[in-house]
Amino acid sequence: MTAPVIVAQNLTKYYGSRLAVDGVSFDVRPNEVVGLLGPNGSGKSTILRILTGYLYPTAGTARVAGCDVVSQGLEARRQLGYVPEDVPLYTNMRVNEFLAFMGRIRGLDHARLPKAIDRAIDRLSLGRVRTLLISKLSRGYRQRVAIAQALLGEPKLLILDEPTNGLDPRQIIEVRELIRTLSGELSILVTSHILAEMERVAHRVAILLDGKLLSVQTLGAHESNAKYRIRVPGSSALAVQSALREVTGVDFVETLPNDFYSIASNAGATPVVRALVGAGLRVEEVGAAASGLEELFLRLTEGSPR
Amino acid sequence: MKTFLPLLGKEVRALFQSPIAYIVIGVFLGLMGYSFTITLFNNKYATLIHIFFQSAGLMLLIVPIITMRLFAEERKAGTLELLLTAPVRESHVVLAKYLASMAVLGAMIGLTGIYALVLGIYGSPDWGAIYSGYLGLILLSSTLVSIGLVVSALTSNQVIAAIVTIGISFSMWMVDSLASMAPDALERILISFSLLARFTPFATGAMYTSDFGFFLSSTLLAMFLAMRALARR
Repeated sequence: MTAPVIVAQNLTKYYGSRLAVDGVSFDVRPNEVVGLLGPNGSGKSTILRILTGYLYPTAGTARVAGCDVVSQGLEARRQLGYVPEDVPLYTNMRVNEFLAFMGRIRGLDHARLPKAIDRAIDRLSLGRVRTLLISKLSRGYRQRVAIAQALLGEPKLLILDEPTNGLDPRQIIEVRELIRTLSGELSILVTSHILAEMERVAHRVAILLDGKLLSVQTLGAHESNAKYRIRVPGSSALAVQSALREVTGVDFVETLPNDFYSIASNAGATPVVRALVGAGLRVEEVGAAASGLEELFLRLTEGSPR
Repeated sequence: MKTFLPLLGKEVRALFQSPIAYIVIGVFLGLMGYSFTITLFNNKYATLIHIFFQSAGLMLLIVPIITMRLFAEERKAGTLELLLTAPVRESHVVLAKYLASMAVLGAMIGLTGIYALVLGIYGSPDWGAIYSGYLGLILLSSTLVSIGLVVSALTSNQVIAAIVTIGISFSMWMVDSLASMAPDALERILISFSLLARFTPFATGAMYTSDFGFFLSSTLLAMFLAMRALARR
């Protein structure tokens, strides 16, 4: 098995007397998309800042592509591309100037730089704006420029902090597609506080709360099977189960209070409703149920003051 | 070196792209030109001593205006995070900002060379004193820039960076005036930290190794502190 791209062990970070990250350990394997999930202030960005060398941990260690982020910081930073939250860019530069500057400080020489810039511009569809000042670009284009600079020098790891913040729905879909495409070439660590976002792009998620790692969850099972919350009054769980037994791709999950049943289907809600009605049952309400990740997140963070 | 040159290029371009550099240079040259002309017509002496002292006094105000944005702006805009998470050394980042600021100040001081030329054409000035005066101005700028760098690295507010730098610079300029009131042991120390006391020999045509050492070591110390201020806390 190939070595993990990130190995974080017992990462701890204090800001003064406030504990921001509390003994967090996780890894990211090659070509894997791992999501750091948690409410605002749960320590996600601090962990990213430690991994990228912007902050030193108070305790614990982190290695990126085998290089310690503190003692071999320069080498570790060569292995990664980073897009901070709020997408800071040099707005007085033009897109191609900015990419040239970032490429050069990433160590690309004159022979490799033009090709690397062209490739990044091509991948992020920045051709139309390459000669424009960054200050003139929309939020969506700025996000693309930030990702383009992070990909220069072909890093082994891409770190994205809340990459869909402030984007419109179309731009969110584009970023999601990009993450999927890139995951074939490098490892990606991405933070978000949006559960649905994570379910769509990550192979695994690490759930954080108050700086503590609560769980690392493998995703994938949730991708195809959407869950529905269906109200079937005046019938038993047995009747609902037997009505659905013959329907392919549909699984009875559990009985919920107030005549609701949780049912998983990979073909939408229509075959479920058709089967229930066909069996002579009365269906009153159909809605999307909380996903597995949502349920897990709510269960893990239950009782939190947030 | 491979990563240092792009950093230097970026800093120089940022400084010369902003109108601040041109306004500062323009105002400085205007004031110094006025002073040079008036003094020359009144005194008829082929000397630049008064220009050196007035320039040094103006530097105390001008340098903080140039250095205030260096780190504070990057910290506020978040680009410092972009820069420090790239594979660059903090020392290169600090040195690039120092050299870019010195380029602006060097251009500004260099343009006052016109006054020396005028003196050379119409009189016979003491060139040794003129050279040492210019060297003193460069050394003084170097210390002031590195003080400005440290302060700018500690805050994300440019106004605070400028005001604190002005405060430190003026305190160091006139700290020798406190010396006469201080006990003997402290008197020497206070004088040794006085920018005015260190600059005066250069402006009057005398150069001492100890003054060189002071300006160079204070520059290096302040740049080291700027690097520490950038440390990944």
